[in-house]
Amino acid sequence: MMAAANPAMMVSYDPLEVALSVIIAVSASYAALDLAGRVRVSGGGRRLAWLASGAIAMGNGIWAMHFVGMVAFRLPVAIAFYWPTVVASLIVAIFAAAGALHVVSRRDMGTLYAWVGGSILAAGIVTLHYTNMGAMRLAARCEFNPFLVSLSVVFAIVFAVGGLWIEFHFRDARRQKMVWRRIGNALAMGAAISAMHYTGMASATYRSSVAPPDLTHAVNVSSLSTIGIAVVTLILLGSVIIASLVDRGFSAQALLLALSEARLEVAREARLEIMGELTASIAHEINQPLTAIVTNGEFCLRNLSSGRPDQKRLREAVTEIVHDGNRASSIISRIRALLMKGAHEHAQLDINNLIQKVLDLTQNEITSNHISLRTNLAADLPLVRGDPIQLQQVLINLVTNSIDAMRGVTNRPRELLIRSARSPDGVLIEVQDSGSGVDPDGLERIFEPFFTTKQEGLGMGLSISRSIVESHGGRIWTVPGSPGALFAISLPLNHD
Amino acid sequence: MLMDSPPVVFVIDDDPSVRSAIKRLIGSVGLQVELFGSGQEFLTSKLPNVPSCLVLDIRLPGISGLALQRQLAEANVRIPIIFVTAHSDVPMTVRALKAGAVEFLTKPFRDQDLLDAIHLALERDRGRRQQDAELAALRERFELLSPREREVVAMVVSGMLNKQIAAQIGTAENTVKVHRSRAMEKMQANSLADLIKMIDRLQVPRGNSL
Repeated sequence: MMAAANPAMMVSYDPLEVALSVIIAVSASYAALDLAGRVRVSGGGRRLAWLASGAIAMGNGIWAMHFVGMVAFRLPVAIAFYWPTVVASLIVAIFAAAGALHVVSRRDMGTLYAWVGGSILAAGIVTLHYTNMGAMRLAARCEFNPFLVSLSVVFAIVFAVGGLWIEFHFRDARRQKMVWRRIGNALAMGAAISAMHYTGMASATYRSSVAPPDLTHAVNVSSLSTIGIAVVTLILLGSVIIASLVDRGFSAQALLLALSEARLEVAREARLEIMGELTASIAHEINQPLTAIVTNGEFCLRNLSSGRPDQKRLREAVTEIVHDGNRASSIISRIRALLMKGAHEHAQLDINNLIQKVLDLTQNEITSNHISLRTNLAADLPLVRGDPIQLQQVLINLVTNSIDAMRGVTNRPRELLIRSARSPDGVLIEVQDSGSGVDPDGLERIFEPFFTTKQEGLGMGLSISRSIVESHGGRIWTVPGSPGALFAISLPLNHD
Repeated sequence: MLMDSPPVVFVIDDDPSVRSAIKRLIGSVGLQVELFGSGQEFLTSKLPNVPSCLVLDIRLPGISGLALQRQLAEANVRIPIIFVTAHSDVPMTVRALKAGAVEFLTKPFRDQDLLDAIHLALERDRGRRQQDAELAALRERFELLSPREREVVAMVVSGMLNKQIAAQIGTAENTVKVHRSRAMEKMQANSLADLIKMIDRLQVPRGNSL
């Protein structure tokens, strides 16, 4: 009766502290979402470290939000806080955050997991909130409105499950979009946390009581210390977000490096394949006449040293030696043509597309050699019939030649220009560099097999390139630049 | 079976120049050579029953050298093989040698290497044929034994005494002695040890019954 007669106390909020609590809620949400991603892509000890620091930052953030929000709550009487409970609530928050981070960072998350993880987080937050309210020491009695209490619990669950679910399902979205989505998600989550908190606060009605509050282990919280808590929390959150950014940058760089190595490997393998095929052909085709020549020669030597040389048989053997020598020579000149005829796959090719693929493959070699690349690709190119792999090989060869030619260039910009254009009968492709150029003496021989100016070159690249281009009915030639060189390929639209 | 008949070297290579050069070289040391352009050609020809070996290219149209080696083994044609190839790799070489090849030469090869390999292969084939011939002769002699003599021989080589054998087959000890000495005579065995060796080679089961 006495209590009922007591009017409810007037409640007010400090707007600055309310705003601060909302900012903390949003920041903590952002940090949590960001860290979940780090935890997910890390493994072993790193994962554990991210999980621990993420849980501490996020738990601390949620706790600080509630505490600041609670301090913002003003009653006509002085409010002190029972600090052991306040500290315990911080620990609850950290463990709840760890549970949630663990769930959201799993490789796959079913509905069940979303609910379990969300419920852990929600339970943590609700516990945190109401233990904190229980830590309040004031000369008043507290009554709760069951409806508003339930509503705050619903808010907590919706925020926790919804947040985890959204983050999980959009975590693989593209990077750029990801940041905005994450900010939006953090705002929504922060708003939900705040809604939960202030609904929880509103669920309590305080009536003045004559009994003085038990102030053992209770502390008074001044506005200054509230701001202190908020600042420390925000710094903590900020530092984990920055750490996560740095870590992500490092892994992205490592990934990029691995990717570029894989690309180089592909280009290298494509070259090796051609070389391997060539060696096998040479081995088989050339070795046959060579074997006959050597064997016949050895027969002649034996016969000559036998004391009774057989003129007729020696003549036969030497005739065959001459025949096989000529045969070997003709095989050498045929090999290139043979190699190119092989499996000629014909498709309608978009040359610009082909150039782009080649640039994708060589991109890293271009950048790592500090070469500035320019392309000037005609928009209205007709399609060319040809073998995409072979023509790609030719272009890779020209581009890598250009890169090699520019390695030693230090006194002028290293520039690579790739141009495509319509030509009277088809398509023209040009690869121009500012490298060491072509020696005028070598100009005639540059497309011949085994002619090379490179230290480790085999002298097959341009010779094979020419065979490929010619088998497409086209032409390849070079024009000395000043400085550098220009290689041009013309491909006709129709050929046999 | 003529043990002294001149040996033959078979050469399978798809390249006529290589074939004729090898024939000239091998012929220069007085060996008879027969040439084939493919594995099929070789498989369908009738092989003379003389010491022989095969000089085989790996890369052949149709049946490859390695496949031919396998087919010959399956058909129980135990001709020694010398592989020659323009491009070999380690696994290929290992496979060929594991399957019993005498030698694995890379083209172009040294004449002496090929001739040495051919001599080794012919020696092996000769030895193998010799053993086969001996075994065939032994088998012929064993065929001459009567069922009773075979029975007695089986028990003798398993270490039974005449008395025990007599008891086992229900006859007089003297009769066993007669069977035994006749069998020794037919098998042309000079001693019991000799007989045991022969029966061993023929892989006749030992024991007190046949």
